[in-house]
Amino acid sequence: MSMLSLVDVEISYGQMEVIKKVSIEVNKGELVSVIGPNGAGKSTLIKAIMGLKDIKSGKIMYDGIDITVMPAWERAGLGIGYVPEGRRVFGNLTVEENLKMGCYKVKDNNKNKNNINKVYELFPRLFERKNQLAKTMSGGEQQMLAIGRALVLEPKLLLIDEVSMGLMPIMVNTCFKIIKDLNDSGITVLVVEQNANKVLKIANRGYVIETGHIVIEDTAENLRSNDVVKKAYLGS
Amino acid sequence: MLMQQLVNGVMIGSVYALTAMGATLIYGILRILDIANAAAYAIGAYLGWYIYSISHNLLLAFLLSMILTGLIGVVIQKYIYYPIISKPNVIPIVPLITSVGLFTITGDLIRLILGPNVKEFGVVFKSGAIKIGKLIINPEWIFIIVLTAVLFAILWFILNKTRLGLAWRATAEDSEIAKAMGVNTNISMALSYILGYGFAASAGIMVGMLYNSISPTMGDIPSYKMLAIIVLGGLGNPVGTVVAGLIIGLAETLVSAYMGSILPRDAIAFIVLIFVLLLKPSGLVSKKSA
Repeated sequence: MSMLSLVDVEISYGQMEVIKKVSIEVNKGELVSVIGPNGAGKSTLIKAIMGLKDIKSGKIMYDGIDITVMPAWERAGLGIGYVPEGRRVFGNLTVEENLKMGCYKVKDNNKNKNNINKVYELFPRLFERKNQLAKTMSGGEQQMLAIGRALVLEPKLLLIDEVSMGLMPIMVNTCFKIIKDLNDSGITVLVVEQNANKVLKIANRGYVIETGHIVIEDTAENLRSNDVVKKAYLGS
Repeated sequence: MLMQQLVNGVMIGSVYALTAMGATLIYGILRILDIANAAAYAIGAYLGWYIYSISHNLLLAFLLSMILTGLIGVVIQKYIYYPIISKPNVIPIVPLITSVGLFTITGDLIRLILGPNVKEFGVVFKSGAIKIGKLIINPEWIFIIVLTAVLFAILWFILNKTRLGLAWRATAEDSEIAKAMGVNTNISMALSYILGYGFAASAGIMVGMLYNSISPTMGDIPSYKMLAIIVLGGLGNPVGTVVAGLIIGLAETLVSAYMGSILPRDAIAFIVLIFVLLLKPSGLVSKKSA
């Protein structure tokens, strides 16, 4: 069963084409990763799925619905959670307010309270700091908040953009473990990541993107032993 | 007498803060320096004057004028600013110049429709001035200070205690992420304009009442003084705007009372601005500390 499919998606910034005829498929329950160098168009792709970047042509289907031209705020309402590159928590809002923003689309207050408490259980650190402004927290704590903010929505699909960027190695491992656990609990996950080594250990399948094209598509296991991938992304 | 000057300064300062609040809210969400807030100030004053002249109900005049001016703001936002700023690669000077154009057009429209002459506002309060020792407080001053306090309390409540306000603050900080979290940012924009233009309208009526006159050019001085206040307040920061408005109001009153007319009253705002920015370039209440 397909959860998300991109069909021949093209995206450009002004005259510059950054994504050229990209097709990606994410099945229900899968953890799929898109790897590739800086500037290959990974973040642009994630933004297009979230509705933050218009696409020039092609189609985006989510859970059987055509969302190609749907505004971002409605996509959130359909259960697409987003963990942006660079965390981008609301620094002048408290931790709790950030989490409230995460479930802004859900009108059921009891459900939201429940989900916020679940995030506090998952990240006790956030509970300790719930009344603190988000900007006063460390990078790792902010990353937890960014993940928690996406989780309170009870997402069916979680989009994660460069979770490892700017984090201490130990935090990177923690984050990847959390992502794996979330996927095990039934959430479909699409991760774009420069840290191919780490992400291919937890993903089911992967795509390699270079200058806007998908150049390789395979299972994570095969990608790990693929010579091209090894040489370019795994540093061996 | 110092006490008298302080009362005057607080009253003028709160009117300034109200005038500039619109520009602050709008800058917070749309990152536009909207000079046309001063047009809302004039439109609001005229609407208030008209409604008062037929109803003789001051509260009704305030309320209706604020709502109508707020709605005019929403229309301007939706059909003029939004199409302009959603074009790719628009530099910030384009909406700024648009707003100057809107402001100029509004002043001229008022003159064409209602004539260039000053109109008397003609609000009469039944009770006379209150005297406490040497301190004289006119009833309209009390009315203005109380109404301003109520309006700011409402604003504070909306921004800090409601879902809509939470979305507004999130949008002001990072509109892209707010959208991804499910905020219809068009609504945040509309809220900025309703509140912003509504507040400017109330400030216009207050000034009209206070000086018993309204004219097509009444928005001219507020148009640039408001800039000094919002920059001083840390650009886009509502609390900073109130503080900055009060400081400018007090500075103007105290300087002209104790130092005479060594310089024009309206220049004082800018002297304070330059002085503060030299010491603290991010404004009095910077976004980072608020």
